[in-house]
Amino acid sequence: MAHHLGPMQTLPSPMRRFSENEAVDYCIVGVGSAGGILVQRLARAGFRVVALEAGPFWDTEKDWVSDEKGSHELYWNDLRITGGTHPLALGANNSGKGVGGGSVHWAAFAPRFHPSDFRVHSEDGVGVDWPMSYWDLKPYYELLEREIPVAGPAWFPWGDPHGHPYGPHPLGGVGAVLVRGCTKLGIRSVAGGPVAILSASHGDRPHCIYRGFCLQGCKVGAKASTLITHVPDAIARGGEIRAHSMASRISLREDGRVNGVVYIDREGKEHFQKARAVIVAGYAIESPRLLLNSACPGHRRGLANSSGTVGKYLMAQAGNVVAGRFEELIRLYKAPPAHALSEEFYETDSRRGFARGFAVQTVGPLPVAFAKQMVAAMGAWGWGMRRVMMDYNHWATIGVLGEILPWEDNRVELAEEKDQHGLQVAKVTFNLHDNDKKLIEFGKNRAMEIMWAAGAKQVVQESRFAHLVGGVRMGSDPSLSVVDKFGRTYDVPNLFVCDGSILPTQGSANPGLTIQALAARTADYLIKQGDAIFHSNRRDLTEPGIRYDLSPPYTRFKGNPRIA
Amino acid sequence: MSRKSFPHRASGGELRNLEQPGYYLGYSTLAQQKSWDEATKAVVRERVGKIPPIRYLSREQAVLLDAVIDRVLPQDDRAEGRTIPILSILDTRLYKNSLNGFRYEDMPPDREAYSLAIQAIEEMAQMRFAKSFVNLTVDRQEMILKSLHDGKPDPENSIWRRMPVQRFWVMLMEDCVTAYYSHPWAWDEIGFGGPAYPRGYMRLENGLPEPWEKDEQRYAWNTPPDSLSELEDEAAHPTHGSPHGRGGCH
Repeated sequence: MAHHLGPMQTLPSPMRRFSENEAVDYCIVGVGSAGGILVQRLARAGFRVVALEAGPFWDTEKDWVSDEKGSHELYWNDLRITGGTHPLALGANNSGKGVGGGSVHWAAFAPRFHPSDFRVHSEDGVGVDWPMSYWDLKPYYELLEREIPVAGPAWFPWGDPHGHPYGPHPLGGVGAVLVRGCTKLGIRSVAGGPVAILSASHGDRPHCIYRGFCLQGCKVGAKASTLITHVPDAIARGGEIRAHSMASRISLREDGRVNGVVYIDREGKEHFQKARAVIVAGYAIESPRLLLNSACPGHRRGLANSSGTVGKYLMAQAGNVVAGRFEELIRLYKAPPAHALSEEFYETDSRRGFARGFAVQTVGPLPVAFAKQMVAAMGAWGWGMRRVMMDYNHWATIGVLGEILPWEDNRVELAEEKDQHGLQVAKVTFNLHDNDKKLIEFGKNRAMEIMWAAGAKQVVQESRFAHLVGGVRMGSDPSLSVVDKFGRTYDVPNLFVCDGSILPTQGSANPGLTIQALAARTADYLIKQGDAIFHSNRRDLTEPGIRYDLSPPYTRFKGNPRIA
Repeated sequence: MSRKSFPHRASGGELRNLEQPGYYLGYSTLAQQKSWDEATKAVVRERVGKIPPIRYLSREQAVLLDAVIDRVLPQDDRAEGRTIPILSILDTRLYKNSLNGFRYEDMPPDREAYSLAIQAIEEMAQMRFAKSFVNLTVDRQEMILKSLHDGKPDPENSIWRRMPVQRFWVMLMEDCVTAYYSHPWAWDEIGFGGPAYPRGYMRLENGLPEPWEKDEQRYAWNTPPDSLSELEDEAAHPTHGSPHGRGGCH
C-alpha cells in the first residue's frame, strides 16, 4: 500500500537508508516547520542527511481523522511540568509530535514579522534587537510564501506591505464578524488570509474544502505542513527521515566538536547516528531540553551553554479568546479557523502606556475546544454547560495575539521526573511582567469592543497563551545568546540550532512562516559554507545570498503578486 | 419555565425521554456516514458502538465519580439508551495513563488527582450531610459541587489544601466535555456538522445550513429551575472571565 501524504501525493519510495556507522553530513533532530525545510534543502544540495523524528511518519489517509478527539496523537502528549505565575498549557495547542511537527496542527496563519520586530530594543527600549534585519529575511519570506504557498489579500497593508501568490479564501461566518466589528470602529482588517492554505489546487495538492478541521491535521492536503510541502522532495532527493527516534543526547568529541546523536527507537533500544554536524530543530521546549540533557565534561550546565542562557527567554504570545453570542446563526465550525485579522495595533503607541502591541485574529474552536473555553470564560457547568453549548452555532470567536517580551525568568529547565525513555522531562516556568499585563488588558478590551461593535448580544473572554518561541536565542553577543544569526552555537562549531527556539523576540505575528524562512536561510548558509562546517572552527558571518534553485517542484514563480 | 422545587431527581424540567435534545430536530450526523472517509468512520463508529469497561477505578470510586458526572454534565433529559458515556471514557484515560502533555507544578499526577478528589468529595458529603455523596439529594450534591466550582470548598477538606481545587475542577470539566461533545449524538444536539471530509462545506456565510444540515428550530429547553448549575442571569454574566481561566493556548 502506498504511503499517502494527502489524497493525491504518495511518499517517494524507496527511501534511502543510511547506516548508523557511516557518518552522514548532517543529523537533524526534529522534522517540524524548520527541520522539514532543512532536510529538503540539504538533500537537494547533495548532502547526506538523516533527520530524526520522535513521533510517527504519518500516512494522512490512514492515520488522520476528521474528528477532534481522534486527533489527540498529533500532539506532544508526554509529560512536562508547567509553573510560574501564569503557567502555560502545553500539549495540544503548541507542540506537535510526528513528521511535520507543529506544522501538522497549526492554524496556518502566515503573516510576516514587521521590520520593527527586528529592532525592538533600538526603537522601543525593550527586549533585544535581532542580529539581522527584516530586509535580510525578506527574500526568504517571499520564497516561502511561494513554496508552501500562502493565500491572502493582494494588498496586506501593515509592516512591509505585500501581496500573496494565491488568492484570498471566501469569508466564513467568524471572519464576517471580525470584518464587520473592525469596520464599525474604523479599524482596518483583511480577510481570506494570509494563510498557508490553498485557495486553488497546487501540484498534487487539492484546494481547501472549508471543513474547519485545520487543527486536527489537514487530510485534504490543502493546508501546508512540511510533511506534504518539503518532506516528499527531501526523500526524492536522497534524504532520510527516521521516525520513532527520540534523541536523548548529542555526543561531544574531545576536540570540542559533536560527532553524532544518541537516540531511542520505539522498542526502547538505544542507537547512535554518527554525523559530521548536528542541527537541533526540536522547537522551544525540546531543543533546550536536549541541550540540557546533553551536559558533559566541559559543558556541565548543558551543551553550548557557556552563556547560561539555554532555556531562558522563552516566550508565548498572549492569546485571549473573546467569544460573542449573536441572535443570528454563525456556524463557526465552517471555513478555516484562520482567515481574517487586523494588525492595526501591532506597533508601539506611546499613548497606550506599554511597549509593542497585538493583532486580532479569527479563531474557530470545534465543539470540544469551545466547551473547554466556556468552562474558562463563563464558568459553565452542569445544565448551564448543556444550555450554552446548544447555542454553539450562535457564537463567534476572535483571538488577541499579543507580544509578550523576552524575560530571563521565563524558562525551560530539567525537572526531577523522567519520561518513558528515562530522560529528565522539561519544567517550564512562565511569569507575566508589567508591560505584558498592560498589553493584555488593553488588547482584550479592544477585541471585546470589536465583538460588541459586530452586534454581539453577549461577550465573554478567556485568558490564554498561544505559540512558543525562544529558549535558545540567537544574538550577536556570545555571552547573552546561544547561537549566531545562522543558528550556529557559539560554543560548538559544528552544532546548530534552527527552529522557533532561536527567536530573540516574537512580535504579534504567528511564528510559523518566520521559522520556515529562517530555516531556508540557514540552509543557504550551510550550503555556501560547504565542507568548512565539518572541519573549520572559523565563524564566517557573511551573508550566503539567496538560492532560488532549491525549491520543491511546482513552487517556482517569478515573484509575489502585489497590487500597490 | 415551570417552577419545580428541589429536592428531586433532576429531570430536565418537563423535558424527559428525549431522543434528541437541542434545536435541530431530525438532524443526524451519523446519517451522513456515507460521506465520511474510512478512517474517520471507523473512529466514530467505535465510539458509538463500543463502550469500554471500567478498568482503572475501583467499584466505589466509579459509583461516586459517576454521581459527580451526572451533576457536572447532566443528561436526565435524554432517553434511556440515548445517554452519552462519560465515566468509561474518563476511566479509559486513567487506565492508559494518557496525558494531555503537561501537569501543573502544584498538581499531583492525573490519576492521583482523581483519587484524592473522589475521597475529598465523599468526606465533604459525610461531614456536611452525614450521608454518602451518592445518596444525597440532587440539590445537596449540587451544593457541594458548586462550592468546588466556586473555589471555596464547603465544608473545608484538607485535600484541597494539597491540591488546588480550581485546577482539579477544570480537569474534571474538560474530561467530561471531551467525552460528551466528541459523541455524534451531542453533535446532533448542538447542530455541529461533524466529520466533513471529503465532502466539505459550501455555504460558509450567514450561518446557512448545508442541504444535509437542518436549520435551527428553537423552543424552551427547560432544565430543573432551581438547579445551581444553570447559567446565571444574562445580565450577571461576567464579561471579564471566570476564575477558571487557564494558561491554555490556541
